[in-house]
Amino acid sequence: MAHVVQCLDQPSNYKDSQARVDRQKQAELLAKSTTLYIGNLSFFTTEEQIYELFSKCASTEEGGGIKRIIMGLDRNTRTPCGFCFVEYYTHTEALACLRYISGTKLDERIIRCDLDLGYKEGRQFGRGKSGGQVRDEHRTDYDPGRGGWGAQAQRAEIERRREVEERYADAQDGPGAVATGGGDWKESAAPVQEATLKRGRSPDEEADNADNERMVSAKRFDPKHVLT
Amino acid sequence: MSYHGGGGYRRRYRGHDHGYEEQQNVQTPEQKLQTSIFKLGEVDPEEETTRLVDQICETTPVNIALVSESIRIGVTEQPFKIPYYAALICLLHDRSAPGQEETDLASLGRQILEDYWKGFQTYLDKLSWRDIRLCVHLFAHLTVAKVVAPQSMYELLRSFTVVLDEFGVSYGRAKQAALCAAEGLMMSGAEIKASTAANAMELISSIQAYIDTMNETKSLVQPTVKLHSTADPVETADEIIESALAALHTLNSSDFAQTAGSFLQPYTHFPAYTDAPFELPSVLVPPEVIELDSLSTDSGEDALVKKEEWPEYYMRLFDNDVTPDPTTPFGYAVRRGILDLIDIFEINRKECARLLLELPKWHPHGTFKPRPGAPPQDPVAGKDWQLESTVLEAALGTLFLLPDPQHKPVYYIALVTELCKLSPGTVGPAVGKSIRKMYGFLADGLDLALAQRFMEWFCVHMSNFNFAWVWKEWIPDLELSLQHPKRVFMRNAIDYEIRLSYYDRVLKTLPEPMQNPDNRVVPSEAPAPDYEYDDPARPHYDAAQLVLGLLRGRAKAEDVMSHLESLKNTLEENDSDINVDSIIRSIAVQSLLHIGSRSFSHFLNAIERYLPLLRNLSSGSISTLGTSSLEARMDILTAVSEFWRSGRHMIIIVFDKLMQYQIVDPTDVVSWAFTHGVERIAGSTHPSINALQWDIIRSALDKANGRVVITRKRVSALRKEADEKAALAMVSNGAAMEVDTEAKPDVPEVESPALTTALKAFATLTREQKAALSRTLDGFVDCLASATNPNPAAKMVISENGWHNRANWNEVEWVTWVTWGWYRHFCRLYSPYLRNYSTTLGSVSFAKVGNAGDAAVDTFRKTWNIATGQDA
Repeated sequence: MAHVVQCLDQPSNYKDSQARVDRQKQAELLAKSTTLYIGNLSFFTTEEQIYELFSKCASTEEGGGIKRIIMGLDRNTRTPCGFCFVEYYTHTEALACLRYISGTKLDERIIRCDLDLGYKEGRQFGRGKSGGQVRDEHRTDYDPGRGGWGAQAQRAEIERRREVEERYADAQDGPGAVATGGGDWKESAAPVQEATLKRGRSPDEEADNADNERMVSAKRFDPKHVLT
Repeated sequence: MSYHGGGGYRRRYRGHDHGYEEQQNVQTPEQKLQTSIFKLGEVDPEEETTRLVDQICETTPVNIALVSESIRIGVTEQPFKIPYYAALICLLHDRSAPGQEETDLASLGRQILEDYWKGFQTYLDKLSWRDIRLCVHLFAHLTVAKVVAPQSMYELLRSFTVVLDEFGVSYGRAKQAALCAAEGLMMSGAEIKASTAANAMELISSIQAYIDTMNETKSLVQPTVKLHSTADPVETADEIIESALAALHTLNSSDFAQTAGSFLQPYTHFPAYTDAPFELPSVLVPPEVIELDSLSTDSGEDALVKKEEWPEYYMRLFDNDVTPDPTTPFGYAVRRGILDLIDIFEINRKECARLLLELPKWHPHGTFKPRPGAPPQDPVAGKDWQLESTVLEAALGTLFLLPDPQHKPVYYIALVTELCKLSPGTVGPAVGKSIRKMYGFLADGLDLALAQRFMEWFCVHMSNFNFAWVWKEWIPDLELSLQHPKRVFMRNAIDYEIRLSYYDRVLKTLPEPMQNPDNRVVPSEAPAPDYEYDDPARPHYDAAQLVLGLLRGRAKAEDVMSHLESLKNTLEENDSDINVDSIIRSIAVQSLLHIGSRSFSHFLNAIERYLPLLRNLSSGSISTLGTSSLEARMDILTAVSEFWRSGRHMIIIVFDKLMQYQIVDPTDVVSWAFTHGVERIAGSTHPSINALQWDIIRSALDKANGRVVITRKRVSALRKEADEKAALAMVSNGAAMEVDTEAKPDVPEVESPALTTALKAFATLTREQKAALSRTLDGFVDCLASATNPNPAAKMVISENGWHNRANWNEVEWVTWVTWGWYRHFCRLYSPYLRNYSTTLGSVSFAKVGNAGDAAVDTFRKTWNIATGQDA
């Protein structure tokens, strides 16, 4: 298909302007990307709302699901600034979002979804001069959902805002600031069931640890500390 | 490009220019012709058809392959234009290629048709059913246009009905073949019958005979549940092959006089084709490809899962004078056209919506009421339907297919949203009526899975349209039993709306009686975590606060563990009666959730930081080795459910990640849902399964199945890699040793370590998959058909009298009926897996089932047998 109409899951002109890979490499990455950039969110939208909507494109039965959500934060205030990354386990799920979710509403705003090259450290922060997204830097319209918010706001909304502002006060940066969401199923990670089972590292396991993210967590939580 | 000038606008102009040039210059004459073929008929179809004929003939030399391929794409991607493509081919039969001697070669049309046939043969070889069927439509139209010989058309259709008689034919294959034959006959029946009268009836009888064998299977996918009887016809929906058959009977009885009113036949407006017709070559529908996959489970079952196909029941939401009855020729034609469009345009829902609202253009005049504001037309008797309601009924009908719609439910939901955006004034009211109709079905046995999907559609739809629903019309239903499907719907819908939005926002959309928490529609507070040890008056408050402090301070996991260890010793000394292990687990897990309760990411960070702690807790110990790990894992899951008791979807999210991080297994989660996770209903003697528990069970089963899918892929990839390596080695070996096949030493196949690991994982994961499915079946046995502890309510709710008395049912009766519904859904949704494992699963679980003759036991067994394909 797609001779007579454009497929909605084609990559758009969205790009990470600070990505340091050439165009061809970018296209290759996008062709198997499992990460989406989600834009035009309200500052007040929570990860749970995002999870709820985006779980509709998850295919757990195919080995997929939502791996993690990374909320875009204002660099200075550490409050949500209207974008996020949603990472799935499979590429198909990301494509499904472009077909079925992009252009529909979340928290009463029309959101956009774009395939993303994948989360890199530091990308959770806004790149505008004042800490938020660049687009909010130059915006001239009044947008109550994106900080264009004044005294006329209802009390309830202010309350909600306060809660949101505090939520990420503890956000960290640097390596390991963002959870991985869990890797693929691993023999080695299965819960230890029998009391007598002494857990040693087999050569298989070493080979299995090609997965980078796992390496990180393995280093940080050395099982030796636990199972002696 | 400096001559463009214009300062800051320069770049933009240049970009614009570039695009313009591309459009103008890059299109070759071939592409232009292709575009014209795709765009045929967008303004004035008949006029454009003649013009396109000229355009094709003007290109020298005519690229037959290009024209035929373009038409093939047009036919399979824009099936509503098929009559015009037929007209095009028909008109091209009067032309010969320019420069060719008229007598030398076959006409252009004939050459194109011959080439087209090759493409059709390719679809057939690939068993690309939708494409095959749409090509059959084209041939059927060409038969009416007298371009194709009726006898050869009959032979083509006959090769599809032959499939129905194959031994052990799968339902999916038979359904597709039957639809090809039926639809081809609807369009070309007049010619076939005129040529040999008995042929039409013969095709119809073959389809009829096949349908008659399907009775048992149907009962499992009908949209309204009638557990007491499988014989009653359903009034709320029509099965698609049955609809086709009914339409065919009607057509046949009038010698296909209604075909002309059901399908466009533009070629009849052009001079008739009189030369010798094209004889379609004879075909054989190739057998289904059996995937050779030597992977089986460690006990030898076939582990390859093939998606099972079921009869398709499309719900009726409107009366026959509003939307056409799909069992009539007109109705079937309209319905079919919409279904194909929805399926094909899944890749672009916006285009799909636009085309759906342009449908009247592609149907005989008078099929639909004129648009508001359009010049009035005299209604055509028996037609004059409402476009928007017709489209919506078909779209929702597809969404409400059982066990699952073809695409993800959210596609159909998004499509309806697009329709509403395009024409709010006309689609909106149709949506409202559909919601009311579906809501009404809730009281009359609407299938549980459909009730859930209906609710999901309702909520996502409302979230796109300001949550504007007239809730007040449902206020009288607050009188119904708390577990009545309508009350459950209201309660769950509001819960889902809150998930997508937030508590205060949703509350504002409700009328006063529903806002009142006493009426049990809305929770009394916004969903929030519920940390048991927040209250100083609670036991173990101090102990828990200490643990919480450690976690907040990001203490090392081992320090937390040793602290818990000493806490355990202290508690044991103070009070020997309490279950200290459970308390420690509850404190640890709830405190961990507490520090991760701000958001999903916070939760992930918290558990990732303390994975070693969780792993040890789940194996039944803290820092030393424990024994009873199942109990430990149940305690962990219970602690989660208590912490998130008022934000229930968080339970599913947390369980999902606990499975992901391998703290608990899918089987543990299933087990928990049937035991600790059961909602306590006053007066209930047996566990029951409601929508939340089903969601938990389903996500666990999907997780188990998904892991097998991934490992299977991994094994296949590794094997392929190994094969390629071996082949390469063989080639280089061969080159080195010259060609001497006799003397070639047999290289023993050595499995790569990666493959060994993958195969081991596969064995473990299929075992886990089987365990999870088995635990689910066991759970349902305990709920509904246990031999040692029979459930009287389970028997009552499936009796005919019981069902008719449902107005007086209490909560226990409703939840038992609901449990039956989820059992049915479990059987049909996981039928492909259950089939593979039916022997082992059945023999274990059915040993605990009561004796035959007991209504509950019989229904339980029968459902299982249908789903697993035993004496169905």
